[in-house]
Amino acid sequence: MAQQKKTLGRAFSHLKRGERINQNWTEQSPRPRDWEDTYRARWQHDKVVRSTHGVNCTGSCSWKIHVKDGIVAFETQQTDYPSTGPDTPDYEPRGCPRGASFSWYEYSPLRVKYPYIRQELLHLWRQEKARAGNAIDAWKQIVEDPAKAKLYKEARGKGGLVRSTWDEVSELIGASMIYTIKQYGPDRVTGFSPIPAMSQVSYAAGSRFLSMIGGTIVSFYDWYADLPPASPQIWGEQTDVPESADWYNASYFIIWGTNLPMTRTPDAHFMVEARYNGTKVVGVSPDYAEYVKFADLWLPAKAGTDAALAMAMTQVILQEFYVDNPTPYFLEYAKNYTDLPFLVTLRSTTDADGNETYVSDRFLHAADLAPDTAHGDWKTVIWDEAEDVPAVPNGSLGYRWDKSKKWNLRMEDENGQGLKPRLTFLDASDDVKIVGFPVFDERATTVVRRGVPVKALQNADGETVYVTTVLDLMMAHHGVRRGLPGAYPVDYDDNVPYTPAWQEAVTGVDRALAIRVAREFADNAAKTQGRSMIALGAGTNHWYHSDLIYRAIINLVLLTGCQGVNGGGWAHYVGQEKVRPLEGWTTVAFGLDWMRPSRQMNGTSFFYFATDQFRYEEKDVATKASPLAGKFGDMHPADVNTLAARLGWLPSFPQMTENSLEVIQEARAAGAQTPEEVSAWVANELKSGRLNFAIEDPDNPKNFPRVMFVWRSNLLGSSSKGHEYFLQNLLGTSGHPLASENKDFQPESMTLSDEVPKGKLDLLIDIDFRMTGTGIYSDIVLPAATWYEKHDLSSTDMHPYIHPFNPAVSCPWETRSDWAAFRTLAETFSKMAEEHLPAQEDLVMAPLAHDTPDEISQVSGRVLDWRSGEVEAIPGKTMPKFIVVNRDYPNVYNQMVSLGPLAAKSMSIKGMTVSTEQAYKEFAHRVGTYPNSANEIVRGKPKLHDEQQVVEAILTLSGASNGHRAYEEWTALESSTGLELADPIAGERRGEAMTLADITAQPRLSLATPVWSGLEGEGRRYSPFTSNVEFKIPWRTLTGRQHFYVDHEMMLDFGEGLPLYRPPIDEIPFSDTDKEVVGNGEQTLVVRYLTPHQKWGIHSTYSDNPRMLTLFRGGQTVWMNEEDAKTIGIKDNDWVEVYNRNGAISARAVLTYRLPRGIAMMYHAQDRTIGVPGSKVTGDRAGTHNSVTRIIPKPTHMIGGYAQLSYGFNYYGPTGHQRDVVAVIRPLKEVDWLED
Amino acid sequence: MSQFWWVVFPYLTLAVMIIGMLYRFVYNQRGWGSKSSEILEKKWLRWGSLMFHWGILCVVAGHVMGLLVPISVYKALGVSTEFYHTNADVFGGLAGLVATAGIVILLVRRTFNVRVRMNSSTSDFVALVLLLIVVGLGVLVTVGYNNIYGPYEYRTTVGPWIRELIVFHPNAALMKTVPTLLKVHIVASFALFAVWPFTRLVHVFSVPIRYPFRAPMQYRSRVQYKR
Repeated sequence: MAQQKKTLGRAFSHLKRGERINQNWTEQSPRPRDWEDTYRARWQHDKVVRSTHGVNCTGSCSWKIHVKDGIVAFETQQTDYPSTGPDTPDYEPRGCPRGASFSWYEYSPLRVKYPYIRQELLHLWRQEKARAGNAIDAWKQIVEDPAKAKLYKEARGKGGLVRSTWDEVSELIGASMIYTIKQYGPDRVTGFSPIPAMSQVSYAAGSRFLSMIGGTIVSFYDWYADLPPASPQIWGEQTDVPESADWYNASYFIIWGTNLPMTRTPDAHFMVEARYNGTKVVGVSPDYAEYVKFADLWLPAKAGTDAALAMAMTQVILQEFYVDNPTPYFLEYAKNYTDLPFLVTLRSTTDADGNETYVSDRFLHAADLAPDTAHGDWKTVIWDEAEDVPAVPNGSLGYRWDKSKKWNLRMEDENGQGLKPRLTFLDASDDVKIVGFPVFDERATTVVRRGVPVKALQNADGETVYVTTVLDLMMAHHGVRRGLPGAYPVDYDDNVPYTPAWQEAVTGVDRALAIRVAREFADNAAKTQGRSMIALGAGTNHWYHSDLIYRAIINLVLLTGCQGVNGGGWAHYVGQEKVRPLEGWTTVAFGLDWMRPSRQMNGTSFFYFATDQFRYEEKDVATKASPLAGKFGDMHPADVNTLAARLGWLPSFPQMTENSLEVIQEARAAGAQTPEEVSAWVANELKSGRLNFAIEDPDNPKNFPRVMFVWRSNLLGSSSKGHEYFLQNLLGTSGHPLASENKDFQPESMTLSDEVPKGKLDLLIDIDFRMTGTGIYSDIVLPAATWYEKHDLSSTDMHPYIHPFNPAVSCPWETRSDWAAFRTLAETFSKMAEEHLPAQEDLVMAPLAHDTPDEISQVSGRVLDWRSGEVEAIPGKTMPKFIVVNRDYPNVYNQMVSLGPLAAKSMSIKGMTVSTEQAYKEFAHRVGTYPNSANEIVRGKPKLHDEQQVVEAILTLSGASNGHRAYEEWTALESSTGLELADPIAGERRGEAMTLADITAQPRLSLATPVWSGLEGEGRRYSPFTSNVEFKIPWRTLTGRQHFYVDHEMMLDFGEGLPLYRPPIDEIPFSDTDKEVVGNGEQTLVVRYLTPHQKWGIHSTYSDNPRMLTLFRGGQTVWMNEEDAKTIGIKDNDWVEVYNRNGAISARAVLTYRLPRGIAMMYHAQDRTIGVPGSKVTGDRAGTHNSVTRIIPKPTHMIGGYAQLSYGFNYYGPTGHQRDVVAVIRPLKEVDWLED
Repeated sequence: MSQFWWVVFPYLTLAVMIIGMLYRFVYNQRGWGSKSSEILEKKWLRWGSLMFHWGILCVVAGHVMGLLVPISVYKALGVSTEFYHTNADVFGGLAGLVATAGIVILLVRRTFNVRVRMNSSTSDFVALVLLLIVVGLGVLVTVGYNNIYGPYEYRTTVGPWIRELIVFHPNAALMKTVPTLLKVHIVASFALFAVWPFTRLVHVFSVPIRYPFRAPMQYRSRVQYKR
């Protein structure tokens, strides 16, 4: 229909009376209907492009992007995922309303269209640059003048961003980096970006640039508290989980704290379809969560007490399926794939009451019996039933590094002699010893003493050692009745740990229900050979004691032989992204093709010190050590962290108070030539105190993290646990922590300034396509391309496909892809470096790494500190490694845009060294080289200039996307295991080689590689550890098996050698010395404050777009129980304040019967860019959901240098958990928008 | 000269107003409205807007009573000249003062509140300033002139003039004896009429006339508009 002509008659035609029908009730309006064309045209389009959403969601759904007149019009779901075969439901369609609302951002008012800079800073910059005549000096004049620095730092978050140009801001950023590198060291330039899987090239853009200049990359998985530390502890694996289609293979499915329909929306149908297939679903959740409505049974365990329930269920399984009625399948599994048959030594000790008792100590080692065994301290021992002697089976960690090709799970000794492991000494013991086990409850810690059958052995020194098996310890610890002496329960109804009756008092779950579910779970596993599955997630993981909760729950799947079986095992679903093409990505992302290693820092420690949250610690009974030990229990977490840095357990950047570029110069001047000499020199200087660890003096201006890049992230709007400390201390602007420093509990190993410094960060750069809670606090905001405007890669562990991003439209306004943005910054930086920053050496301090020989550094897990002289200071053994790295600053740009020479040799991934010669050639052939470049750095090197080339590099160099690589990697693993792997696993699909064009045509099924632990391929769903179970590949742990028992000294010190229940922290809302909150005449309520994931956003993304805002109330809300609300006079939708010593939030209350009393839920990351009024508590604009949280690192998460407890980026380290928070709620009587 | 001010000028300005409004209604109907700035600022607006609107409504009612209703009607009803003028003075003056105060508040708000100023067009200021002049002068006549020089009997001069103007029988001679202050008020009023269509003032004429009379259910024909 053509547009109607406008005439006077038509304009007034509505005044005319129209034809009437229906007894004058209905009238024809003369108004036109051409407006309808708008809606018809809405769905017309010119082309469709395949892309996806690089949002921090595990969905990784492929989408069709519809373009009209050069404008992104809308998106719809792709439906062409390769089929899962005839016996399983298919993956399509994938996608949820959140993703479907994305195109709104393209042309929205939130879009960042131009480079923006803080006005105050821009004025200073132009003024100082004109005065100094050179950019680096100009930057110095600004940041070294306290008045000037304060001027722009205090303005952060208060508006005033003005438009600038890419040229101007790149020069400023370059100047800030060069000045910081020269003055303080390259490690003071830092970057934070999460979840590479969601857009792998974009992550790599920043991390590659920062790695090359020696900057610090901050980890995210542990910081988000999505890392389950239990996974490294049990399996030596960061995280590996089944794809969602494998739920369909489960026949008993417990969902335990992960809201599948809400947060795994495109996958949830598999759970529903499994129900139609006969699968029983059990929900464990304190609230009536969305997944509970799908469940056949609901176990409403009180928030934070899940471990207690799991402990009781473990008792039931051990009692009924191991003792009363031994199940052959379980016993066989336990012998071959778990540490249950391994021998643990007992140690005699005196407890707090002066009673002599035995406690479990470390694993028995081969070296205890035969001291000259190669790596004998790292080979663990079982009891061979056949010969009735101790025996050393293949597969433990010592075999991994002794080059014997015996690192496999064949139950035989190194001479090939078959072994029959004994699980228990119950009928064959030399003695029964009373062993003490710590028990923690809400108020106190006690000891329970129970008899354990033992064997007496003579060790090599001729001493008598009592040993028992892990299973015997488990039985005693859990209170399984086997007729042994000691404080065992009489029956399930006896209220002692860990009976079903005992758990009922803790969790509130009916004991009969707990027994029933445990029984059904194990019974199903016995009948199906392991097809019982447990999905867990944020509800069980975001706690201080997350590792214990997880270990207790995972007991259930390990004891029943479910792990490594399709349709069985754990299924961890919170933040568990998977970069399937990991090896290629790692090579590119961390610049490993040019220099190794890069500086990778664990996030929680970084922010704990950078924001000075360590100065506000309180002691809590829940963080105490075991009453049977206690050496580390009273230590301040910051002291444990400095210890961890000192001993090389954790990385620590900024690394030293002294500039690392100068340290290496001094070492050279002192005559250190070889890497060993440099290392020894540095160790000596550290020992003598002439060099200092920066972590021990984080408030010294020399040790501030000066420059920070945030990209693909909303750090301040979503994940700044301890938000107010971030604002006040790191940024130097108006943050409002109400806590005062706890003078009675301060770290002893550190130098502390009198005042907490304000505004440590000189420059915060945010790269994003939308203005977020981070953008508004940044000094510079750079306009990024959206997910419909760039090439990139996406993968997840929820489905097995690899698929791409493609630009549907070119970058509008002045936006650039992350790769192009960092390439621009690198180019400017390199040009400026030609004059100001010559090529030179750098000294990198690296921690003892997992999957390298470093993991066999700390014998027996005994903590020995070189500083106090307990041990020699040996780099790479008892302290960090010190590695010389060449930094070619003027050539950083050239290095960034070409694939470097190290990639043509070999790479190390998860302990395997794989040749990359062939891969390099294939890649060069695929993308072309710089054959005639004038610059000899890049001449002849393959191109890495554009995003497409980076995508091809990742695909060519990785086993998941290239059959030749997969084959090479399996071959590499054959050489250490002595197993036949490459042909049976990778033979069939050896010829496959995905390209960007391939995956653009259709998502492709990834290939099985030893980088991951599961088998996959056509006709087979991915499940973790299936390659371990089916091919006898060891887990990367001390025993090579799945661990119930973790024997590091610090673990034992905290009583956590075996899984157990420890209550959550009841963090006090206010301490006596904190600022007082003036009452407003209203009543208050103290609640446990939880921050689960929401329905109307993926973190802060989508939660600010009108489509999602209209689905619920829009703006920040807090859910609470309706009865609770009544007690303080709150009605639905009333404004409330939530506050404690860490800060205050204003939000509207949502009242519901679905939450139990005593809990408030604020959906995480609603961000505060929309509808946030003032707080009466702080007098300023109220905060985010993180304003009442604060980081409390757990000491045992800092252990390193010991088998599976060795550091890996995003693999191990303290988590930034946030559910142990208690807060106060009160009505917000008067809402002040602070508008005038 | 008086022909221009009291015949040509009023017709010219009224013509601009009527044609301008029609044009705008036909070609830019979606731009028709009061352009509320309440979302930007509330506290001042509440006082300024309420005072101005109620004030001006009373003032308009007063003008209808004084100008459109002939003096003979009042005489016939037995309303004495003194009684009429005292009332006009008190209530008209009061309404005018309230309206003036409202405009001043609105003008100050528009000038000094940054958010409102940044979102204002020239037409917004022109409308407000002209309103201030017109209403201010009116108040001066009612409250100032009448109380200093005694009440001016406009019902025999301005009233008939305007009524004859309306019926296209313009008589400039009627305006000869009118005080200068009042003359300026009238000229300014017509100037305001001329800018009317180009400002937010058009919203005065937004009345849902058809609404009470139309059938409860309205539908639009598809056939009629198919092309």
